[in-house]
Amino acid sequence: MILSADFTFSQSNLQDYRDCPYRFYLRYVLHTRWPALVVEDALKFEQRGQSGARFHRLVQQWLLGVPEDRLHALVTGDPDPDLGQWWENFLEAIPPLLDGERFVETTLATNLAGHRALAKYDLVLVQPDGRLIIYDWKTSQKKPRQDWLEDRVQTRLYQFILACSGGVLTNRAMVTPDQIEMRYWFAPNRTAPITLTYNTDRFEQDRDYFTDLINEITDKPADSFFRTADEALCRFCVYRAHCDRGTLGGDLEDLEDSDRQPEGFEDLLDFDQISEIEF
Amino acid sequence: MVFEYNCIMALTPEQTHLLDISHHAKVFLQGSAGTGKTTGGTLWLKKLIQSGIPAHEILIFVPQRTLAAPYDRCLQDEPGLAQSLVTTMTLGGLARRMVELFWPVVSPASGVAFPDQPPQFLTLETAQYYMAHIVLPLIEKEGFFASLTINRNRIYSQILDNLNKAAIVGFPIDEIGPRLKSAWVGELDQLNVYDDVQECVNRFRSYCLSHNLLDFSLQVELFQKHLWSSPLCRNYLTRSYRHLIADNVEEDTPISHTILQEWLPDFDSALVIFDEDAGYRFFLGADVESGLALRKTCDEQVKFSTQLVNSPEVQALRTGLQSTIAHLSGNTSTSTIPDFKAVTTALGTPAENPRFFPVMIHWVADQVRQLIDSGASPGEIVILAPFMSDVLRFSLANQLDTLEIPYHSHRPSRPLRDEPTTQTLLTLASATFPEWRLFPKRINLAFALMQAIDGLDLVRAQLLTAYAYEEQTREFPLKPFEAVPSEVRDRITYQAGERYDRLRDWLAEKTPEDSQNLDFFLNRLFGEVLSQPGYGFNNDLNSANIAAVLIESIQKFRWAMDTPAGNNDLSISKEYIQMVMEGVIAAQYIQSWQQDHQDSVFLAPAYTFLIRNQAVDYQFWLDIGSPSWYQRLDQPLTQPYVLSPQWQPSQTWNAEDELAAAHETLSRLSLGLLNRCRKKVFLGPSDMDVSGYENRGLLLRVFQHVLLEARRRSR
Ligand code: SF4
Repeated sequence: MILSADFTFSQSNLQDYRDCPYRFYLRYVLHTRWPALVVEDALKFEQRGQSGARFHRLVQQWLLGVPEDRLHALVTGDPDPDLGQWWENFLEAIPPLLDGERFVETTLATNLAGHRALAKYDLVLVQPDGRLIIYDWKTSQKKPRQDWLEDRVQTRLYQFILACSGGVLTNRAMVTPDQIEMRYWFAPNRTAPITLTYNTDRFEQDRDYFTDLINEITDKPADSFFRTADEALCRFCVYRAHCDRGTLGGDLEDLEDSDRQPEGFEDLLDFDQISEIEF
Repeated sequence: MVFEYNCIMALTPEQTHLLDISHHAKVFLQGSAGTGKTTGGTLWLKKLIQSGIPAHEILIFVPQRTLAAPYDRCLQDEPGLAQSLVTTMTLGGLARRMVELFWPVVSPASGVAFPDQPPQFLTLETAQYYMAHIVLPLIEKEGFFASLTINRNRIYSQILDNLNKAAIVGFPIDEIGPRLKSAWVGELDQLNVYDDVQECVNRFRSYCLSHNLLDFSLQVELFQKHLWSSPLCRNYLTRSYRHLIADNVEEDTPISHTILQEWLPDFDSALVIFDEDAGYRFFLGADVESGLALRKTCDEQVKFSTQLVNSPEVQALRTGLQSTIAHLSGNTSTSTIPDFKAVTTALGTPAENPRFFPVMIHWVADQVRQLIDSGASPGEIVILAPFMSDVLRFSLANQLDTLEIPYHSHRPSRPLRDEPTTQTLLTLASATFPEWRLFPKRINLAFALMQAIDGLDLVRAQLLTAYAYEEQTREFPLKPFEAVPSEVRDRITYQAGERYDRLRDWLAEKTPEDSQNLDFFLNRLFGEVLSQPGYGFNNDLNSANIAAVLIESIQKFRWAMDTPAGNNDLSISKEYIQMVMEGVIAAQYIQSWQQDHQDSVFLAPAYTFLIRNQAVDYQFWLDIGSPSWYQRLDQPLTQPYVLSPQWQPSQTWNAEDELAAAHETLSRLSLGLLNRCRKKVFLGPSDMDVSGYENRGLLLRVFQHVLLEARRRSR
């Protein structure tokens, strides 16, 4: 097996594999980092990523009970005027929906084909009627189609793992798939979240799908992680120069169209990634 | 519920006893290294999870992230065990997390100039940069630290060290200078040094506050003073974590112990693990006494005393060493003379002490080869020295290579700034932007072009730069290949010339934004030119990796410069390169993921090995005549004992204290190493050390004494 036994699967590495097995190989097997701009307008891309990270942080702080006037002061002083609008939209649209026990920035795990698989949730809401709602905040300008969202690795893995392991949040042994809902909410829009429901059929499909996918990855010999045939996926891939699939980064607006999240800025929120000062 | 131990290995009666204790208890577990405490800790963790406690309610608290590795491994080995994640934290991580999360709550009281703006968290690297930014003008213009002849980077890091000590011991930063001064009994000049230290500390702190910068010391201070007492933060922590496992508390700091002491009553269960005879991180602020005091807050005390690591012979050697060092320190109450046969079985020495260092290195490598040939696993062998200098490491590596012995070192051979990839990228950038006035030397540019262009050796690169590079100009300094005389062009080759022209043309098209954002510029340079066919980094994953680390370091630097108060007077890119040249930043080492360290000999400084907390069959101790085994580092701007919590304000630090400290260090280090040795210690003495000095330090004499006494007893 090419991966170590303790390799942990997540939505981002599974999405990478689905997009391009070779990208997965470079990133997670060889641990190769490749310097490249994801898009040509790198500064704007960086600023958008950082604004998104600050927005996630604000929501997290609000959910944990940080007084609203203090958050308002931070929003007012923020260099990105969009953030103020997102924040206003959030306060208008989301708080009335949050009846229940909140699990903020929580991570659940399950065993998939002998490996650990993780899902990191912006918010899981356990409602009084026993429903579990996953909230995922997005700051991209464009709202994608529902069927596209339904097919995302993130949607499928997050719902699947919550069905497997949500019991640790509810103190119940089992959570049934039809108790679960995933809501994507797009901060730049004033509209309600896009809601995706779940059921036993989908749960079983997902279990088979992820088990097969992980078995496929772990059984693959090193020389069988082929490059994707869909060269459009290479435009925003940092390895494109190495793969001889172009030297220039993609276009920022096209990236928005594809709804790929800016890579790297999630780390700003991920405390586990913070390299601690060893003192 | 019956706990299934789920493990192949047999538990010791002591471990069984620990696991029989209710998982609602608060247990203080102590014992020396090698008694199975951490294994007990991992079994305790499994027991918690198997009894239905959600993993996300469990906090593993350690002084250093690497010490949590056994806990991570134990959960990863059984992916079905936990349905959520345990949290692993150090004090630094906890402070940083909480300050970031509750910044809007803490900022009004923090003293920063812009409480409604987010802070910038400084890394060690960026803190060092800001310290240099503040202190360098004081050194150059105001004569600060004039009496010292030490590298400036050591000045910056020792001042930061003082700030951090104040935070983790818990005294105000304005007491640093007075504490150091009141303890000093030597030359009066040194008192001025301490005054300078205090002034630099004050200026650094006020600069940080006026620019919303949070270095480690300020993060810890804000957490401890404002957040730990804030109900919002405290409730968040106590609600999130219901069960605690705190391992290696003896290596943690007084402030960690205070926090744990206050936090312990809130947990539903706790296992606090204390390693006796340790405290190796003393120089980093570890405090054994306040760690031991946590015992009182726990309701059950458990002691592990069965040695699971040492052979009886190594144990005998350990006893002899302990007794001799105690004797040295004036403690004559216990005197144990070990059996001569046991000592000679546990100790390997050359038949005759080699006079010169290289001979000793040969002897060590030969012994390692013999051990492996007789069935020892290379991963069960470590080669240790008080410091692993580049020369020592190089000599050892050479000899091990010759004998085909697999090995790995605690760090790669050179830091990021010395990597050829780094130097190539930064030299090309410096040449591209003459407005920075960094003007690369001709030879450095030749070296960079040699790296950058496939088929260009150093001789040709020097020829090229002799004609196509204008040093010290304010214009773009690279001329086209056609500017080179035709007979020289022939020698350089037209293929290399064409590649040079492509690179040159690309560089000449720079924009003002490129000059501002060095990281973006280098990303493009690497992707669009240097990694393309015909250039030096084509298909070179190792260079790509190094370039990526460098670019990330530049990006972090750029972000750290982005403060609400602004840094408009600085060209960030130029500043970065200058700081690299002065050795302030890019000092980190890049570990290669491809390296397989599973079964190879480990070369490391003794403390690095100790803090990894892993036992091995065989240890080699080199340079045992060196006083570095027990002497303090020469740190003229700080003093770990004086800045520790045990220090009394009226005390002075004299020669007797120094000697007692040396004995204490020697005992802690040598016994700590022996506790992690199963079968045998080989001593690598030589009359002359690696620098050619004759050394007959204490450790050598202690071993001689143990051998002599044991032989006497056997007669
Ligand atoms: S550039 Fe294209 S082929 Fe290469 S790793 Fe990226 S997605 Fe795969």
